[in-house]
Amino acid sequence: MSVPLGYYLMLGGVLFCIGLCGALTRKNAIAVLMSIEIMFNAAILNFVVFWYYLHNGALTGQMFALFAIAVAAAESAVGLALVISVYRHYRSVDVDEMKALKG
Amino acid sequence: MNIVFLTLSAIMVLGAVLAVTLRNLVHCLLALVVFFLGIAGHFFLLKADFLGAAQILIYIGAVAVLILFAIMLTRNISGTEGGRSSLGGAWWLGVGLASSLAGMMCVFVRRSELVTKLPYGATEEGVVKEIGKLLVTDWVVPLEIMAVLLTAALIGAVVIALEEEKKR
Amino acid sequence: MNELVKQQWLIPFLPLVAAAVQSLLPRKARKLSAGICLTAMGASCVLALRAFVGTLGHHEAERAVWNFVWFDYGTTRLQLGFILDPMTAAMALMVTFVGFWIFVNATGYMSDDENFTRFFCFLSLFAAAMLGLVVANNLLMLFMCWELVGLCSYLLIGFWYFKPSAATAMKKAFITTRIGDVGFFLGILMLSWQAGTLNLYDGGNGALEQAGKLAGLHGWFGWSMATTIAVLLFIGAMGKSAQFPLHVWLPDAMEGPTPVSALIHAATMVAAGVFMVGRMFALFTAGGSAEHPTFAMDMVLWVGCFTALFSATIAVGQFDIKRALAYSTCSQLGFMMMALGAGGLVPGQFHLLTHAFFKALLFLGSGCVIIGTHHEQDMRKMGGLRKYMPITFWCYLIGMLALAGVPPFAGFFSKDEVLLVTFQRSKVAWGLATFAAFLTAFYMTRQMFMVFAGKWRGGHHEPHEVRWNMWLPIAVLSVFAIGLGFFGGKYEHYLGVHEEELHGKSLVMGLSVAVGAAGILLGWLMYGRKTMAHAEEPDPLEVKLGALFTCLNRKWYVDEFYDATIIRATMLLGEFWRVFDNRVIDGILHGIAWTAWGVSQVVRWVGDEFVINGGFDAGCEGVRLTGREFAKLQTGRIQGYLRILCLGAVILLVIWYLK
Repeated sequence: MSVPLGYYLMLGGVLFCIGLCGALTRKNAIAVLMSIEIMFNAAILNFVVFWYYLHNGALTGQMFALFAIAVAAAESAVGLALVISVYRHYRSVDVDEMKALKG
Repeated sequence: MNIVFLTLSAIMVLGAVLAVTLRNLVHCLLALVVFFLGIAGHFFLLKADFLGAAQILIYIGAVAVLILFAIMLTRNISGTEGGRSSLGGAWWLGVGLASSLAGMMCVFVRRSELVTKLPYGATEEGVVKEIGKLLVTDWVVPLEIMAVLLTAALIGAVVIALEEEKKR
Repeated sequence: MNELVKQQWLIPFLPLVAAAVQSLLPRKARKLSAGICLTAMGASCVLALRAFVGTLGHHEAERAVWNFVWFDYGTTRLQLGFILDPMTAAMALMVTFVGFWIFVNATGYMSDDENFTRFFCFLSLFAAAMLGLVVANNLLMLFMCWELVGLCSYLLIGFWYFKPSAATAMKKAFITTRIGDVGFFLGILMLSWQAGTLNLYDGGNGALEQAGKLAGLHGWFGWSMATTIAVLLFIGAMGKSAQFPLHVWLPDAMEGPTPVSALIHAATMVAAGVFMVGRMFALFTAGGSAEHPTFAMDMVLWVGCFTALFSATIAVGQFDIKRALAYSTCSQLGFMMMALGAGGLVPGQFHLLTHAFFKALLFLGSGCVIIGTHHEQDMRKMGGLRKYMPITFWCYLIGMLALAGVPPFAGFFSKDEVLLVTFQRSKVAWGLATFAAFLTAFYMTRQMFMVFAGKWRGGHHEPHEVRWNMWLPIAVLSVFAIGLGFFGGKYEHYLGVHEEELHGKSLVMGLSVAVGAAGILLGWLMYGRKTMAHAEEPDPLEVKLGALFTCLNRKWYVDEFYDATIIRATMLLGEFWRVFDNRVIDGILHGIAWTAWGVSQVVRWVGDEFVINGGFDAGCEGVRLTGREFAKLQTGRIQGYLRILCLGAVILLVIWYLK
């Protein structure tokens, strides 16, 4: 395969920023969580890409990606539980309404 | 340049963009699944077969279903509330910031020496067996910690979601 | 010794485990909690004793270290390590021993508190942090423990956090010591940068072993690099050991339960600063000689000397039994610093040890008094306690005589050595310190007569003697307050420092005894001959000194001064930045016209506030306003925070790109 490393990195960066854009702008908390999943995946893609290109016999990159996937799964479970809990409390999942921490 | 890479990437970017812009949350989720599939495809392309399988199992099989449940439980499928838009007030600020960050990233990737040093990847064989071995030898402690973390997340998710119900 | 050093880690580890276990215990498990705590501390004490015995019999200052790799990052290898040398062994033994008896006392003092287990959990952690600091052979590890000590003092001073005064005191202690920690941290960074390692001793490559090399390099303000680092480190010690001008937190720390005060003032917190200066002594002295000491040494000497005198004067005017003792601690810490600054490592460290014993004794004694008088702390409302609390009285008397420097009590020997070594360096400092010693004898006598002599002035509730678990510790500590002084010569030999013959020995000793006696005599004349009859009666000293006494009682108005200057300046700066911030953000949003208006606002506001409204009565209002304005930044909206984070990332990348 003849794709240079740079293209993969740019792909990862662009995907990350798409996710970031969603996390910054969406009002629905579930949509924000989905955007964060996109960011996670972009980062994981980078791990694998570097593993592939820097390949030196070790599987550290893949291992890292694997653990990152597991952590992301745990994160989404807890995050969605929080969203449901917030929904029960406020009857809304609008992140602009979640400002109980306002000083 | 590889035609497979380009096609996959285009589908993925499209999926990601749709996932963050569509108003109906279920449609967003479907776009997200496309994006997940694209990532898995890239993993296969990069000879990380095991990760590709794990990606499909975990993200599409578990996370996407979980999100679907959350959408259903919050009964807010349309993503709009009382006629207001699905985007926050200063949405253009977010878009501007994110796109400038993306621009900067691309600039840095282009400038990086690493890119010219490692232009093409080596051909690798599947290493699933090796991963299995490593997981129970060198990486056994992180694996166990991960197991504890997942258990804690499971219990935590149940407790958080139950809490208000009990009070009522 | 080489074998023993590998077990040094156990000494802090045991109390740490005890703290961890106690954090999981239910609130009802009081006996179990206290049992675990005491067992761990006792075991640590035995280990420390074993280490101490192991270091005996070595005639030279021998030192065993054990370094191990914590982790590698890139090409840098981060090591941690433990040390066993005479100074460490003596200090660890003191901390564990005094700490153990303070814990015993605390079981009595806190017996009615419902958060008993939480208290003992913090107490164990406090002891563990201090012990970790003592046995560390690495500045990074020392710093971590240093911060842990700070954290624990914060938690313990504010143990009764529902009292507003305690909540304020805990913050004050934390923030004040933090100001010093900035210096300390800068010093650590400089040392790491210049020496390439943070290990103190490492077979010739340690940071302290390179002190000579560092003394040859150029640092700031024309000082050598070693002096620069030493000055920065000393700023940290000033915060921790409550040296002027960062002493303000220590007296307020009295808001915590009394065993905590004893622990902070004797064995742990404040000792950390003095101990650290002693540990890093090679850096302080590097590049100087007895005739031409380095700037760092001069700074230590004069800061110590001034603190000793300054705090002693304040202690004279206090009515709260614990507050008077607190200022006395400040003053004694000044003595220790002064001795170190004069080049006397041994007197400084020895005074630290003896002081720990008798100050713990005095604080625990005052705790007994407070419990015995049903939580009364005002000395004017005490009196005649000798009759009601005989055991406490005798122990307290021993502690008071030791602090006043009466031979043959421990304080006499150590203070005498401090004065002697100061005498060699500077006659002026010695004179001031001798006067401070006179004041020490005076205020302790004043306290004794106010608390124990005369008749009970406190109302209907008659005081009573405390239970055995409260008086036993002070009885044990008083044995050491009597006997420890005789080991001064041995201690010098033990540390392996051979000091040249000091001149003026008899003059210094004679004068020190004379001022001690004079102080006690004056105290008796003013407070003993005719004791106070009523709690409302003015203090005899107040009658004599008038306005000056008020000044002493108000602690020379240092707190008020800080309120009017530093705190107000901070508020003004905060207000300035708020206006700046609003204007700049608005400027981006609304265009240049707004910015111009904003600048004019700033100018108007600065002129207005600084020139016209300069009086400090507006300070309180400023506090509230700034708080309210800053609170507006906390919108509670996560996306707003995320946006700012993202903006920061973009700006950093742009800067990097342009570079």
